[in-house]
Amino acid sequence: MLSLLIQKELKNILLSPKFAATFLVCSVLILISIFIGINEYENAVRQFEANQQIAQQDIAQASSWGQVRNIAHREPTPMQIFVSGIHFDVGRLSGISSFDDVKLVRSPYSDETLFAIFRVIDFAFIVQIVLSLFAILFTYDAINGERENGTLKLAFANSVSRVNYLFAKFAGIWLGLIIPLLIPILIGLLLLLVFKVPVGADEWMSISGLIGLSVLYVTFFIGIGILVSALTRKSSLSFLLLLVIWIGSVLILPRMGVMAAGQIVPTESIAQLEAKQEAFQKARWDQYSAELSDIWRSREAEMEGMDENERRAYRDDKEWEWLEKDDVLRKKVQSDIIENNRTLMEESRNRKKVQEKLAFNIARLSPVSSFRLAAMNLAGTDIDLKNRYEQSMRIYKDDFTQFVEKKQEEDGGHGGFRISVDSESGVQLDFGRNDQTLDTSDMPRYSAPKTSLQTSIASSIPDFGLLGLFILLAFGGSFIAFLRYDMR
Amino acid sequence: MFKLIFIKELKEIIQSSRFTISFAVCSVLIILSFFMGAQNYLASQAQYEAAVQENRKQIAANTEWIMVNHSIMLPPQPLMALVNGISNDIGRNIEMSGRGELRADNTRFNDEPIFAVFRFMDLEFIFGIVLSLFAIIFAYDAINGEKVGGTLKLCFANSVSRASFIGGKLAGSFVGLSIALLIPMLIGCTLLPVLGVQLTSDEWIRLGIILASGLAYFGLFLALAIGISAMTNRPSNSFLIGLVFWIFAVLIVPRASVLISGRMIDVPNVDDITSQKNRYRTQLFEEDRPKMSSFKPEGTDPQNVMQQFSSYMRELSSKRQEKIDAFTERINEDYENKRREQEKLALNLSRVSPASVFTLASTELAGTSLKLQNRFMDSATDYQNVYGNFMQEKTGENQGGGFRMIMITTDDQEEPEYLDPNEMPRFEYKPVSASMATASSMTDLGLLILFNLLFFGGAFAAFLKYDLR
Amino acid sequence: MDDQHNETIKQAPLLEARNLTKVYEDGVKALDNLQLKVHPGEIFAMLGGNGAGKTTTINIFLDFIQPTSGNAFINGVDVNKDPLEAKKNVAFVSENVQLYPNFTAIQNVDFFVRLGGKSNYKRNDYEAALLRVGLQREAFDKKLKDFSKGMRQKCGIAIAILKDAPAILLDEPTSGLDPKAGKEFTRLVGELRDEGKAILMSTHDIFRAKEIADHVGILNAGVLVAQKTYNELKGVNLENLYVEYMAGYMEEATGSLINSLAE
Repeated sequence: MLSLLIQKELKNILLSPKFAATFLVCSVLILISIFIGINEYENAVRQFEANQQIAQQDIAQASSWGQVRNIAHREPTPMQIFVSGIHFDVGRLSGISSFDDVKLVRSPYSDETLFAIFRVIDFAFIVQIVLSLFAILFTYDAINGERENGTLKLAFANSVSRVNYLFAKFAGIWLGLIIPLLIPILIGLLLLLVFKVPVGADEWMSISGLIGLSVLYVTFFIGIGILVSALTRKSSLSFLLLLVIWIGSVLILPRMGVMAAGQIVPTESIAQLEAKQEAFQKARWDQYSAELSDIWRSREAEMEGMDENERRAYRDDKEWEWLEKDDVLRKKVQSDIIENNRTLMEESRNRKKVQEKLAFNIARLSPVSSFRLAAMNLAGTDIDLKNRYEQSMRIYKDDFTQFVEKKQEEDGGHGGFRISVDSESGVQLDFGRNDQTLDTSDMPRYSAPKTSLQTSIASSIPDFGLLGLFILLAFGGSFIAFLRYDMR
Repeated sequence: MFKLIFIKELKEIIQSSRFTISFAVCSVLIILSFFMGAQNYLASQAQYEAAVQENRKQIAANTEWIMVNHSIMLPPQPLMALVNGISNDIGRNIEMSGRGELRADNTRFNDEPIFAVFRFMDLEFIFGIVLSLFAIIFAYDAINGEKVGGTLKLCFANSVSRASFIGGKLAGSFVGLSIALLIPMLIGCTLLPVLGVQLTSDEWIRLGIILASGLAYFGLFLALAIGISAMTNRPSNSFLIGLVFWIFAVLIVPRASVLISGRMIDVPNVDDITSQKNRYRTQLFEEDRPKMSSFKPEGTDPQNVMQQFSSYMRELSSKRQEKIDAFTERINEDYENKRREQEKLALNLSRVSPASVFTLASTELAGTSLKLQNRFMDSATDYQNVYGNFMQEKTGENQGGGFRMIMITTDDQEEPEYLDPNEMPRFEYKPVSASMATASSMTDLGLLILFNLLFFGGAFAAFLKYDLR
Repeated sequence: MDDQHNETIKQAPLLEARNLTKVYEDGVKALDNLQLKVHPGEIFAMLGGNGAGKTTTINIFLDFIQPTSGNAFINGVDVNKDPLEAKKNVAFVSENVQLYPNFTAIQNVDFFVRLGGKSNYKRNDYEAALLRVGLQREAFDKKLKDFSKGMRQKCGIAIAILKDAPAILLDEPTSGLDPKAGKEFTRLVGELRDEGKAILMSTHDIFRAKEIADHVGILNAGVLVAQKTYNELKGVNLENLYVEYMAGYMEEATGSLINSLAE
């Protein structure tokens, strides 16, 4: 009985013109998106590699270590083919130097604003917008359409249980939608192989997770479609209600969640943060120069009453001590500034974290948000992408500045030039050494932060769970609704 | 006859539950997008004010103009919040220097990636994506639904001409739905001043044209759906065809055209260009090194020597800067030309789809089109001159791009005098004017009208051949 | 009754089919050289099975399809040449009257009657017509989506009455109605005939046709195989006649017969 019902359901779907049209559109969309994704990814990799090389050359051509402008680049990941997430919105590179804090700048969109107008279309987007719409299209009249046709009466004139009937309906529609969906996805994965996209074991796992997630997501919309169809008498009404639900959950709720969180937890802009940092920096240096002049004044005081020769001797004697003291003071200033910068940054980031958490939790009222967030987590293009990179770049920056300091000590150079003014010997200009190239062989290299598969899966588990819960609710609801359905 | 059908169409729309539900949803969406736009604007305005304030505070903490780090910001505009365009994707801050190339950093989405996850809900999104879909939902069964329902036969059993029938239908549904959409739009507009967003009359005009073009865009999808329903026999088929068209027009064509133009016109790598500039700068500096070393001061008074050295270096630096400027201009020009060519091709290709025509028209009117970036940079460059002159006046040198020497003498212990940030000339961003925006969106507004004519005409023609049985 | 009929026959026909032939794109010949005339005060009943060409004939009179050859005239106007002029003189009630589901009965009637060119009616007139066709007063302001088939059919005939056109086309108007409603309907059609309307109706229902028709034509595969007047039908067993001409359509004929008996 069950298999008969499932077969009927499958046939009903596979033979409808609706199916042919949607299958074609889905296939075209998914394949185009993966194709475009691969293209974009390859471009990004090319650019990334070229940039690495350019950065390398720039360093090699610098005349002293002090002049080196090091740049760390964000590395493209093949997962962005499927879920671009915030990849295009976050800066691609950061300067690495002891003076400035790490900051990702030049997002792909800001460099190529043309792409920003229409934005990219990726697999996750298609699943989120188009497949959910199609799932609704296939289910809105699942129950009430059969009632209108009279086939429901005819079917239940036989000894068919309602539970069996509904279950067969689910199974049939599910198979009829999911299997055709998997075909273009598999072809898309073949494209990855054809274009030799470097996909490792971890990525394959993430991709399968993503496919599983998409199946869950579509399943939810099948469930909600059947639920609404079992709650209403007329298919025209259920269609409309479902579209409203679709617009609300796909387009509106996620955005509203973020907007609401933005209202509840205001954050400061980077410009404001930077101005604050700069203000502190300036104040600190002013304080330093005041301290320094006090020190020098006291040093002058020490020499009170000495004659010219005594003074010189005293000064020669104390020079190292004094220099070191001054240096300690200067380093203290620098570390204070860095410390303060980081505290401010940390504060700002914490507030943002609170905002994000709130925003996402509100947005999770809609399973669409769960899908999107989980997909981004799986792909590693989630909201934390920026922090992850900036943190690892900060660590690299410390390594690099240490390295440079060491190098400079070795070379005895300091980069730039030094002017010494002495009332005795006049002005001396020292432009340091002028080698043509630097030996960069032992320079520490930046490597992208690796998120392990476990962490990305772990962070997406709550959303998987939520999605599962929503599915259970939708299915449970439709069973209850159908058991009470008025067959007339 | 036309009038009768027109009125019947209006009545039918207003009395249907489909209308009630979708009208409710559309109204909520439109009002919500105005509300969110207003909130968004107020929030960015607050951020902007705070950042400007910080910047001024920081200036005021200085005692020497030469020590000042000044950065300018793109002020948020109400229309930017209503039609985002690329405003969230371009750098909003520029660190000012009296000379040399300026760079805008800190895009909104980079600063606050949380908004990039789901993006904003602006008018362009609501019209471009949601309302166009609603237009199809409204009208997909306009003709074939009447056929299936049997009323078509009954109508045409009377002496009704096809032209007046389809005319009444098109006009009735367009007017009925437009009026329905106008109500939430007007509520949204009154909401703006209530929430504290004041628009200038120029901005009101632009907003008015944006809303009008939104209606035209809605009308075009309506006519399209009616046309499709006049070419098919079953409502389910016409909905499907409409949906496929919608997916292609809204989702595929715009992106595909960008991709195609990217393939056809190669634009050099930005990072490569930046690095070329840097390398040139370093190279020039290296060339100047011997000159620097050969500096021979006159006299031995440190104060005097430093002054001499400083002006010597300044001279070298400004010569270098001239060369760099020339180099930058040349290399940028080539890059910009290629880029503009690519943009032009992409936009022209995308104009096949009415959805991108609407996007282009509305962003142009809101001042958030691709040109926003240029406009901001142009304003900044204008300001750069003012700023450079100001600095020249205050410090005797136009800093930036090259050598900057700061001498602080700590011997005289006079109480330092702090700077008055009000002396600093203010950066004025010149937003688009209504006349400029209308002029530059003329093509797209014209295309919108053309699409309307085409689809209304198409629907009309299709119905004349429709099998009424 | 007889005298009245003889009288009216002499007038010019209001509905006339002259050599009507219709061949569909797929080559099916739906009508073959059909000739028929309906005069004022006459009911012409077309009998025939499914696909006999009854609906095609009505569709041609309404300009929904164009004849391959031949002409259809309403009040002397060639439908194909000037459909709008022709249709001023005809009202139509379909097999399954469907009206705008979101409109009330009155709103629907108002719209369609105005569409029929009558704009000086008041609500009273609509109510009178709806009462005349037997619709309950409570239903007047209800939306059509809650109406049963019989109620919709009544609205349809009310619209036709109010349009007050000299010719009326009825396409299987009684199919699916219960016997009471069917009888009521027949009575109304009879009244309209007595008011001088020319009525062309297609039907499966032999009994009803015999009851009110002044002329009965039997269509088979697009050919009018027999045409009898009311007088000629007197005493003739119409069922036999029908079956005789409908050799190929036996089963359906008996089917519909059983149907009508079952009702």
